[in-house]
Amino acid sequence: MADPGSVLSHAEVEELAPGFVLGALDPEEMAAVREHLASCPLSHPVLETLGAVVPALALAAPDTRPALDLGARIVAAARREAGPVSSPTAVTSTGDDATVRAPLQRPAEPVVRLDVPGRSGRGLAAWLDAFRRPAGAFAAVAVVVVVALVAWDLRLQQQVSDLDAYRTAVAQVLDAAAAPGGQLAVLAGASGDGPSGLAAVTPGGHVAIAMRNLDPTSGTQVYEAWLIAGSEPPLPIGSFAVGSGGTGALNASAQGSTGGSGTVIALTREPGPGATTPTLPILAQGRASAATS
Amino acid sequence: MGFEAGLPAEPDDPDRAAIARLAGGDPEALEGLYGRYGTMAYSLAYRITGDATAAEDAVQEAFLGVWRNAARYEAVRGSVRTWLLSIVHHRAIDSLRRRRATTALPESDDVPPDVLTLPDPWGDVAARLDRAEIQRALAAIPAAQRQSIELAYFGGLTQVEIATRLELPLGTVKSRQRLGLLAMRRALTGETGPADG
Repeated sequence: MADPGSVLSHAEVEELAPGFVLGALDPEEMAAVREHLASCPLSHPVLETLGAVVPALALAAPDTRPALDLGARIVAAARREAGPVSSPTAVTSTGDDATVRAPLQRPAEPVVRLDVPGRSGRGLAAWLDAFRRPAGAFAAVAVVVVVALVAWDLRLQQQVSDLDAYRTAVAQVLDAAAAPGGQLAVLAGASGDGPSGLAAVTPGGHVAIAMRNLDPTSGTQVYEAWLIAGSEPPLPIGSFAVGSGGTGALNASAQGSTGGSGTVIALTREPGPGATTPTLPILAQGRASAATS
Repeated sequence: MGFEAGLPAEPDDPDRAAIARLAGGDPEALEGLYGRYGTMAYSLAYRITGDATAAEDAVQEAFLGVWRNAARYEAVRGSVRTWLLSIVHHRAIDSLRRRRATTALPESDDVPPDVLTLPDPWGDVAARLDRAEIQRALAAIPAAQRQSIELAYFGGLTQVEIATRLELPLGTVKSRQRLGLLAMRRALTGETGPADG
């Protein structure tokens, strides 16, 4: 272990290379290696040789689908950080290859300022006093109403994002179903108001699923899709998590099955990805049939 | 093997175009990046944290980190995908260690990590391999070496913690990680050297 504040030799850094590229050194050692790298003019072939493997490890993780609305939430968060004038973009010049993108102006979003007791300089007493006066009470009510409206607007934006994501997933299902030999299944639960959606299976074994009205997953929980052909045991296709929007989608390959006509596609909730047998009950299912005749 | 060593980046690389737009203040460029790498990022974060909420948080923080630091991206240090996934890894490990609270935490700042973005063009080439090739390469190395690599990379354990957990000398853990990484590189590239050790 490197002593805090020690300067590592070139040989010592090469010795620490495996732990450094894997992020598996103690913080003092990590800092010491970084310090050396910042000032050493020599190359570090061992470090570079081993470090080059690490990006590949990121792709060794088993494929696990995120909640359908995660992308929309990320973009929405970035939009909020960007402020009112930086998005969306538009192409302002399309001549040759000199395409220039510039931000579109959009109306400024309402800004709600709340005086926080103890921070605004007015103090709690003054803040409460405002509520006691008729005009102050009216202002306080107005603030509450505006806050509620903003919250409602954010929820509405979220619902629109969910709807857009579900619509995109449905379009992908229909594209798969429209492929030569594609099969389409309408998935539904036992009760009319439960999970519902569409699934498509191609002769090559590609499966696309779009679902809504699902309960959000928590912890390691996932929804797992299954392909059931005749009397064969259920074949796990893939899994996905579900956020508060209740929508989910899956695009996966069903290894070892071509999903012929009459194949059943089913959905269960599992404690984690990688299930090999379904955990009952089946939440939604549907029988695949030719999408085109 | 579906790659060529030293292959230069495409000049019209959509990832780099997206980074340029993000650096210019256009958050909509995140949509394309997420569309290409969202599942990949989530799969990595979920493998590390084993928790959907923590994985979502790590992915969201990583993409927002790219958005905030796009102007600092340096193409010579690796592809956008490598950069993004290194941030996802950093965030997910950070989350895991906070929950475990036995490992000294890295400095918590908004600066993307540089550990995984060493200036080696082969790194980007490796990152272009498909998942099946990489999983096969990882599965092909000796189990003890794979275990010591996975405990570090996906488990967030330091070499000292791995040695304690496996009741092994620290030197053995270091050696297994070195040999395992070299073996994985050989499995990915088809190289025959250098000699182990």
